[in-house]
Parts: sequence; structure tokens; C-alpha cells
Amino acid sequence: MLTIDVKKSFHKQHDRLFHLDLSFSVNAGFTVLTGPSGAGKTSLLRMIAGIIAPDEGVIELGSTVYFDSERRIDMQIQQRNVGFVFQDYALFPHMTATQNIAFGVRASASADRRVKAEEMLSLFHIEHIADRLPHEMSGGEQQRVALARALSCEPRIALLDEPLSAVDIETRSKLLDEIESAQDRAKIPFIYVTHNEAEATRLGTNRIYIRDGRVAAAEIA
Amino acid sequence: MIFDALKLSLFVVCCSTAIVGIAGVAFSYLLAKSSFRGKDLLDAFLTMPLVLPPTVTGYYLIVLLGRRGILGSYIYELTGWSFAFTWEGAVVAAVVVSLPLMIKASRASIESVNTDYETASYTLGKGKLETFLRITLPLARRGIFAGLVLAFARALGEFGATLMIAGNIPGKTQTMPLAIYEAVASGDDHRAQVLAVVLTAVSIAAIYLTNKISRTAFYG
Repeated sequence: MLTIDVKKSFHKQHDRLFHLDLSFSVNAGFTVLTGPSGAGKTSLLRMIAGIIAPDEGVIELGSTVYFDSERRIDMQIQQRNVGFVFQDYALFPHMTATQNIAFGVRASASADRRVKAEEMLSLFHIEHIADRLPHEMSGGEQQRVALARALSCEPRIALLDEPLSAVDIETRSKLLDEIESAQDRAKIPFIYVTHNEAEATRLGTNRIYIRDGRVAAAEIA
Repeated sequence: MIFDALKLSLFVVCCSTAIVGIAGVAFSYLLAKSSFRGKDLLDAFLTMPLVLPPTVTGYYLIVLLGRRGILGSYIYELTGWSFAFTWEGAVVAAVVVSLPLMIKASRASIESVNTDYETASYTLGKGKLETFLRITLPLARRGIFAGLVLAFARALGEFGATLMIAGNIPGKTQTMPLAIYEAVASGDDHRAQVLAVVLTAVSIAAIYLTNKISRTAFYG
């Protein structure tokens, strides 16, 4: 169970103040966040991950408190154990697919990390690009590596920021299958930001529509 | 005589480039990634030798490190040794004048690394030091190499500050630029010519190398 109740003010362009005020709670499974750009979806993901801090409020995952302004808790980003898939993947450009994935594995021996990375490669059907650098991969392959890397640290929650916006329509449907089966295996909450209505309908067990920094509509199963 | 000066110059410049490499990357990281009070002041202070006449830089080095200097007097009291008229003094002069070039180049390249890569590394549980060493540094390596080459070339040509703090003692503190000056002053045109050609060759090689580094494809 993920519980969100956060407030934050941002200075946007032309010094206009933007207020984010979001509260909802969802269970494991898919939660799709939709809404116009600049509504606060990415900021919310970044708050859950601990990249930015809310001004006030609470973020809890199960019994773990990620953030609580009243109790002055702000767990470090490294300790939160989230799997983050960035919009442009943010694959380390100087590392191969295997190295990218092994980077996230929490094992002290490098042999163990490699074994786990190879396991992830085969789970996502990308063994053939194991030794390729990100710029030698197609968009869909990069996306799979990003997903494998995010899940290789066995996270407690996965945060996906428009993960399919950069791949073509044919690849998109295959990747949606992969993402669904990854969630099925991991059994953790997947928070999925998208602009695409088809993706939202297909994945949205829970759907939250965010506009102007607020929850404008929510369907929670 | 020519070989003495060449050997000393290369030795001093290698020492100074090693120091500048480590200190430059550390300062660049500090200036690029953290915010603290007096950051602009530190930046200005470190950059100053770039615009200050080298003799003035050298004068401040004497005030600071000379036998009766602010720090130098303590060092002299404790050890009976001072930076004045030693090769170590020449290294200090070379470090101070070449550090700003290193910082300019490496700071810019550290700042140009997309912060999403660092954030991704943090979300994967890695701390700041590990992230810097495994992500930021390799991605900024071109600028860091370019900075090292520039610092090397600048240190090799260092004259004014070196003369002030280390003097011009043949075989001890007389680096190539000082040897050229002395050769010309004493009318030894042949020696001046040979030294000048050697320094010119090294400088051209440095420019060629920096251009090559900055043009090489980033990966692969």
C-alpha cells in the first residue's frame, strides 16, 4: 500500500508559483497517472523516489515511512529501494547492457552481480544485446534494459515515467506485455505515468488523473 | 646544460600535472556539485593566476611560502627548509598557474554530464563518491583529459612565477623557459634555438592532442 499526501510549491516560468497538492493511496498492481504535461506527474514520481522533497506531507510504502514532515523523516534516496525508469531511460552511456543491469544488483561479489544481470537479460529477452552500449541499441532494446536495470535491485516499488513515449507503436504493445509480466513477477506497486490513452486503459487497475497539481479524478480498484 | 633543463622541466611538469589532476578534479567537483558560502570567492581565488601577471603570482608565493613567508616561516622553523630556490618551489609555481586551466575544462565537463545519470545511480543505491567515480568521472573524461593537456603545456612554459620563487639555478631550478632566457641573455643563440624548438614541438603536440581528444567520438 502506497500512501501519498504531499504539498509542494514550485517556481515555474515567469516566476509563476505552482502548487502541488496531491493525496491518494493505492495497492500493489498498476497505478496509471495521466494528465496534461506540467500537471505534476513527474514531480510526484521524483518525490516518491526521494529525488526532490515535498514541502510538507507524508509518503509511506507499507509500513516504511519514506517522508514525514511532522516527524522530520526524509529517507535517503539510496535507502528507498525504488526502481526508477526515466523518460529517456538514462542508461549509463559508457556501460554495456550487462554492466548497466549489474550496476543496480545488490550483491557484494561481482560474479553474483553478473549472474543476476544475465538472468534479467534473459527474462527480458535481450541476451543478444548483452555486450552492446546504449547507443548501439534500438529504442525498444534500451527500454528493456532500463526496465531490467530498475528491477534488478529487487525494488519495493517501480516508478515509470512515460517509459514508452520514445518507441514506435509496434514495439509498444510488446513492451506493454513485458511490463505487465514484470509486475506480475515482482508483485510490487508499479506507478506508471503516461499520456497515451490506450496504455492507460490497458494497464490501469488504478487510474489517477492529475491536473494543475491536484487529483482531478481517481478510479481506484 | 640543455639536457639538464629539459630533464628538470619534464620532472617538474610531471609532478605539477599529477597534483593539478587530483586537486583540479576535486575542486571542479566541489564547484560544480555543491553549494556553500564563499563558493564564488573560492572560484575567483583559484582562477586568479589565469589573469594575474605571473611575476605577481610569484611575488605572492614568496610572501606565502618564502623563508620569511606567512606559512614558509613556520615550515622553515620546523624543518630548516623552505620552498625558495628549490625544485619543489618550481612545482608549486607550476601548479598554481596551471590549476585554473584544469578547473575551467574539467568543471565544464562535469557540469555537462546529464544529472539523470547520477540520479539513476542514487536510486540504484549508490552513494555520492561511488557515483562520482563510476558515472560522472568516466562521462566527463574528455574535458578532464583536455584540462590535463592544457595544464601540462601551461606548466611547461611557466617562467615568471618560477623565477620569483625558485630562482634560476642551472641544474637545480633552471627549467627550459629560464634556460632560453639565459641563453639569449648570454648570447648563446644556438642553445636558445634548440631549446625553443623543443618547447615549440611540445606545445604543438599538446594542441594537436587536445583537438584530437575533443573530436574523438565519445564512445567506442
